[in-house]
Amino acid sequence: MRLVYIIFITFVFISFTGCSSKDAKPQTDEVSVVELSQEDSDEFAEFDEELEVEEISDPFSGYNRGMTSFNDGFYEYVFKPVNNGYVAITHKEVRSSIDKFFTNLYFPMRFINNILQGKFANATEETGRFLINTTIGLLGLFDPAKSEFDLDAHNEDFGQTLGFYGVGAGPHIVLPFFGPSNLRDFLSMAPDAAVSVWSFEERDYMVDFTDTWPEYLGVKSVEYFNRMSLHSTEYDMIREDAVDLYPYLRDMYEQKRAREIEE
Amino acid sequence: MKQIFKKVLILLSVMIFTQSLVANDQEDLKNHFLKKIDKVILVVKDKSLSNEKRNDDIIVLLTPMFDFKLMAKLSLGKKAWMKLSKAEQDKFVELYVERMKNSYSSKIDSYKDEKIEVKDVIQKKNKIAIKTDIISSDDKSFEVVYKYYKPKRPKADKEDWLIYDVEIIGISILKADKAQFKEFLQTKSINDLMDVLAKKQQA
Repeated sequence: MRLVYIIFITFVFISFTGCSSKDAKPQTDEVSVVELSQEDSDEFAEFDEELEVEEISDPFSGYNRGMTSFNDGFYEYVFKPVNNGYVAITHKEVRSSIDKFFTNLYFPMRFINNILQGKFANATEETGRFLINTTIGLLGLFDPAKSEFDLDAHNEDFGQTLGFYGVGAGPHIVLPFFGPSNLRDFLSMAPDAAVSVWSFEERDYMVDFTDTWPEYLGVKSVEYFNRMSLHSTEYDMIREDAVDLYPYLRDMYEQKRAREIEE
Repeated sequence: MKQIFKKVLILLSVMIFTQSLVANDQEDLKNHFLKKIDKVILVVKDKSLSNEKRNDDIIVLLTPMFDFKLMAKLSLGKKAWMKLSKAEQDKFVELYVERMKNSYSSKIDSYKDEKIEVKDVIQKKNKIAIKTDIISSDDKSFEVVYKYYKPKRPKADKEDWLIYDVEIIGISILKADKAQFKEFLQTKSINDLMDVLAKKQQA
């Protein structure tokens, strides 16, 4: 019996010394190379893993940087002056309604992508929203589905569907005018556009309201211009906090998409 | 048999006790957070204050909630932080704190009757995340998560639980800063970074 105790104690002893020598080693290394206070090294150890910034694939960084500057210049010198005039004569509620009208019309995209991800309850909720907002909500200008019936929006696009099935983001790509994207999301614009009511050619498989390029571009410009007008304060804040605008926007976009896919 | 029963009972009561301690942490922090928000909103809505005075008052209220020094350190990352002298570290922290305050002030300026609702409180050991929805008057909402931790030793002039990161619609501001600082430092020096931060504040 006593033997068992002795073995046990030796075992405990060995395992403890094993532990402490493992712990001690990296610490002495650190202290000898640089002066990092105990508090600092504890804090880095505690948070580093959680705040690990994912490496974003960026082979086109040169082009992306250039395009970010172009977009930012376009925002400053073209969008802003026009927007100031637009905001002066168009009340925020009106702009918000225009945005809701466009958003409502992308119902097929949201419905299909919810189904593709097996989110049937969300697809049903989206259908309810579309029916209510198109009728009672006057062609989608208002959102009684949320305010009166408490039906939540479930925005899903094809990029999120691909992400849901494990397709990685691929290299980051900054698009002219649209801003940050990546290969997966960029390629996903095509299938989403195929089920949109705005098209640049005549279609026979579903309703479309535009048939030519000029019509299509005209409508899309109004849609994006109006949306940006609602979000320009946010962009201004990001610019203010940016030390290096391109990686800042890139990281925010990729973080946001990762969250959207997760949900 | 009785002995075993007693031991199990003690074990259970210890477990329940610690569980209730954890629940209290969450509940206390949530109540504290809501009280703070109410105070901030009261100041924001006080029309008698000038914008500058109002923002200063709010920052006085918020400062004990945030561990700005830790945020500065983490956003720079271990490698870059280690290369700095003590004086440089202090200067960087100072610039970073100023930047955070400016950034908050400009966000307060754009405040328009949004409501804040706490959706969920999640605890993992010494970290608690308070998930909130910011709801605007036209019923649009977005998620903001306040990430707290409890330092082992309480810090001077700070609360027990401190915010070390804020997530807006899934975007961690700390991670975004880390990404931009890292890329900036690949081609430029820490002094350049500090110059840019200082210049931003003058503008």
